[in-house]
Amino acid sequence: MSAPTSLDRLEPGRKADVVGVDGPGDMAVRLLEMGFVPGTRVELVKVAPLGDPLELRVRGYHLSLRRAEAAYVQVTLQ
Amino acid sequence: MSETSAPSTLRVAVAGNPNVGKTSLFNVLTGSRHRVGNYSGVTVQRLEGEVVGKLAGEGPPIRLVDLPGIYSLSPTSEDEVVAFDVLTAKDAPDAVLLVLDASNLARNLYLALQVLELGLPLVVALNMVDMAREAGLPVQPQRLAKELGVPVVPTVARTGEGVQALVDALRALDRAESHAPVLVPPGPDDTALQRALEGLHPSLLPAEARTALLARRAGKGVPGAAGTFLASLPESDVRAAAQQLVCARYRRVDEILEVLGHRERVRDDAPAMAPSQRIDAVLTHRVAGLAIFIAVMAFIFVSIFSWADPIMGLIEDAFGWLSGLVSDALGPGLLTELVTEGVIAGVGNVVVFVPQIALLFLFLGLLEDSGYLARAAFLLDRLMARMGLHGRAFIPLLSGYACAIPAILGTRTISTTRDRLVTILMIPFMSCSARLPIYTLVIGALFVSTEPVISRGVDQGLVLLSMYLLSTVSALAMGFLYKRTILVSPTPPLVLELPPYRLPRVRDTLLMVYDRVKDFLRGAATVIMACTVVLWALLSFPAERTGAGQGGATMVAQSYGGRMARTLEPALQPIGQDWRVGVGIIGSFAAREVLVSTLGLVYGMETDEDDPVQLRQALREQKDPDTGRPQHTPLSGFALMVFFVYACMCMSTLAVVRRETGGWKWPAFMFVSMTGLAYVMALLVFQGGRALGLG
Ligand SMILES: Nc1nc2c(ncn2[C@@H]2O[C@H](COP(=O)(O)OP(=O)(O)OP(=O)(O)O)[C@@H](O)[C@H]2O)c(=O)[nH]1
Ligand SMILES: [Mg+2]
Repeated sequence: MSAPTSLDRLEPGRKADVVGVDGPGDMAVRLLEMGFVPGTRVELVKVAPLGDPLELRVRGYHLSLRRAEAAYVQVTLQ
Repeated sequence: MSETSAPSTLRVAVAGNPNVGKTSLFNVLTGSRHRVGNYSGVTVQRLEGEVVGKLAGEGPPIRLVDLPGIYSLSPTSEDEVVAFDVLTAKDAPDAVLLVLDASNLARNLYLALQVLELGLPLVVALNMVDMAREAGLPVQPQRLAKELGVPVVPTVARTGEGVQALVDALRALDRAESHAPVLVPPGPDDTALQRALEGLHPSLLPAEARTALLARRAGKGVPGAAGTFLASLPESDVRAAAQQLVCARYRRVDEILEVLGHRERVRDDAPAMAPSQRIDAVLTHRVAGLAIFIAVMAFIFVSIFSWADPIMGLIEDAFGWLSGLVSDALGPGLLTELVTEGVIAGVGNVVVFVPQIALLFLFLGLLEDSGYLARAAFLLDRLMARMGLHGRAFIPLLSGYACAIPAILGTRTISTTRDRLVTILMIPFMSCSARLPIYTLVIGALFVSTEPVISRGVDQGLVLLSMYLLSTVSALAMGFLYKRTILVSPTPPLVLELPPYRLPRVRDTLLMVYDRVKDFLRGAATVIMACTVVLWALLSFPAERTGAGQGGATMVAQSYGGRMARTLEPALQPIGQDWRVGVGIIGSFAAREVLVSTLGLVYGMETDEDDPVQLRQALREQKDPDTGRPQHTPLSGFALMVFFVYACMCMSTLAVVRRETGGWKWPAFMFVSMTGLAYVMALLVFQGGRALGLG
C-alpha cells in the first residue's frame, strides 16, 4: 500500500489498484462499467509514441485511454 | 405451439461486446454477407437476416438482427442507446442471442448480467472457445449455464462449430413462459444503492430503475416520477449508489469466474492478449511503430495510385471503345451524342471509381480484421484529439488524398454523428488524385520562368508541394472551425479496446468489399449519371451543326456552358481567369479529366490528356485582348490552383455525401461553402499578389 495517485501518473509497467472514479458523469459511468471499480488491479502497459494515449490492462483485456480520461481514476500503487 | 396457427417468425437480437464475433455468427447463421471486422464498433447500422438452409431445420423462420457492439446497456454512447432501445422497445425481440468471448469473460459477463435484468428469453453463445483453449483457459459451458440460468452453447464462429446447437437452443426457448428478470442484489453495505432503488421501484421495473440510476449519474435526463425522485437525491448519494451498483455486478462476475475455475490471473492479467503483446512490442513501439505505420500508409497510397490507375485507364478505354461502337452503329447525330457523351460517359464516370473504392476497402478491411486499425487509432489519437476528433478519423482523412469517394464511405467507423459529419466535411479539402492533372497542367504551362529561383524542376515541385500543404492545413483548419461552430460537440472520449491480433479472413473481407462497391454503385450511380447528362447538355446546346467548317471551339463557346462562363467573366477576371477557364471549371465538375479536355476543346484542339503539350503552349501564349500582355501568368495560375484546392469540383463527392448524410442539406452546404471559399482565396491570392507587384 502506498500513496494515492491517479492512473495517468503511473509509469509503464507499474501496477495499481483502483480506489475510485470521478470526472464528468458519463465518463465516470463508462469507466466504472469498463471495469475500473474499486479494488481492481490495473497495469499501465505502454504510452503511445506521441505521449498520449495510454495502453492499460484491466480485467483481462487491453484498453486505451487518454491521459485526461485516465486522470479520473484514482489508484494506489502496488 | 398449436397446430392450427401459422408459425410466427422468431425475432432474435444478436447482442454482445464489440469484437466478440456477433457479425461472424450472424453471417454463418444467415448465410448472408456482412461486414466482419476487428475494430470496435464496426456495426453501426443494423443488419437483418434469416437463418437459412439446413441450419434452419423445421419450424417457424428465425429472423436475426445484428446489434452494434456494446460494453453495457447504460446510455453513455450512441451505440449503447441504439442497443438499449431495440431491446426494450414495445415490440422487443422475442429472444436475445448474447455472444460472449470465452477468452475474456472477466469483462464480457458484465453485459450478460445487465441483459439478464431485462428478463427477455436468452441464449448465450460462448464464442471464441478456440481462443480460450489456446490461452489455456477452462471452457465450462454447463457451469456457466447453471450460474446464469440460461442455455449456453460453445461456438467458434470462424468455423461454424456449434451453430447448429445454437439454432436448436433458440428453437427450444419457450416464448410463452415469462422470464423473470435476474437481478444482482445490492450488498449489505450498499445503503445508498438500496435507498435509491427503493425510491425508484414504485414507478419503474427493476431493470429500468437500475438503468435510470446510471443515466442520472451520467448526467442524462430521466423522465417521469423516477426523474423527479432522482433529481431530489443529493449528488453524492447518486454517485455512491451508481458506483455501488456497478461494483455489485462486478462482484457477481467475479463469483462466476471463481466457479468457472478462472484463476485470479484471468482478472488481472490478459492471457488471451499474450501473443498480441509481443506483436505490439514492435507495432506500437515508440520509433518502429510510427515508422511501420507510415510505411503501411505509404504502401496503401502507392497501391491505390499505381494499381488502380491502370485499371481505371482500362475502364476509360473500354467505355471509349463502347462509345465508338455505338456511334458507328447509330451514325452521327444528337441521339448518338446523348448516348455516347451523356449516358455511356455517365456510366463510365461511376464505374471508374470502383478500383479505388475496392482497393481502399480491401486494405481497410484487412487492417481492421487483423486488429491493426485499433492500433493506428492508438498511434494517431494525439493528433486527432487536438482537432477535437477521435483517433479513428485519421485514416478516412488520409484516404482523402487518394479519392474523396472511398474516404467518405470510410467514415462509417466513426460512431458519433457530429464527428462523422465534421470528418466528411473535411475530406474534400484534401487534395485528391483528381486535382493532380490540373496542378501539373498549370504548373507545366506557366511555371517555366527562364530565371528559376533554384532550378525549374525544383521550383515546379515546390509549387506542387505548396498546394498539398495548403490543402492539408485548410482541411485541419476547417475541421477545427466546424467543431467549434456549426457542429459543436465535445472531443469524443477515446476508450478504445485494443483487441488481440487475429489473422484476417480474406473471404470475409472480399465479401465486405463487394458489399461496399455494390452499395456505392446503387446509391450514387443515378445522381452521377444525371449530372453527366446535364453537363453534357450544357456544353453541347445550342449547337449549330453546320458541318465540318466549325471547330469545337465555337461550338463550346456558343453552348449554354460557354454563355454561362461569359456571363461569369466579370467575376472571373478578379481572380485572374477568363471565360475559357470558366468553361473548363464548369466541365471539370463532371470528372477529373474533363478540365483538361474541355480546355482543349475551348482552345480548339485535340489534346492528348497525358501530355497536353499544345494546350500548355496555348495557355502560355494567349494574350489579353485589351492589354496585349499574357493572359495567364504564374500568379493567375497560382490563383487557379488555389481555387481548385478549395472548390468542391466533383459531383461524385456531392452524390456520395448526399447518400451518406441522407439528404441534400450537407452536400448543398459543402458545395456553396467550398466554392465561396475557393473564390475568396483565389481572389486574395490574385489581388494580393498584384498589390505586391507579383503579376
Ligand atoms: N478465433 C476466432 N476468431 C473469431 C471467432 N468469431 C469471430 N472471430 C473473429 O473475430 C473478429 C471479430 O468478429 P466480428 O464478427 O466482426 O465481431 P463483432 O462482434 O461483430 O464486432 P463489432 O461489430 O465490431 O462489435 C473477426 O476477425 C472474426 O474473424 C471465433 O470463434 N474464433
Ligand atoms: Mg459486427
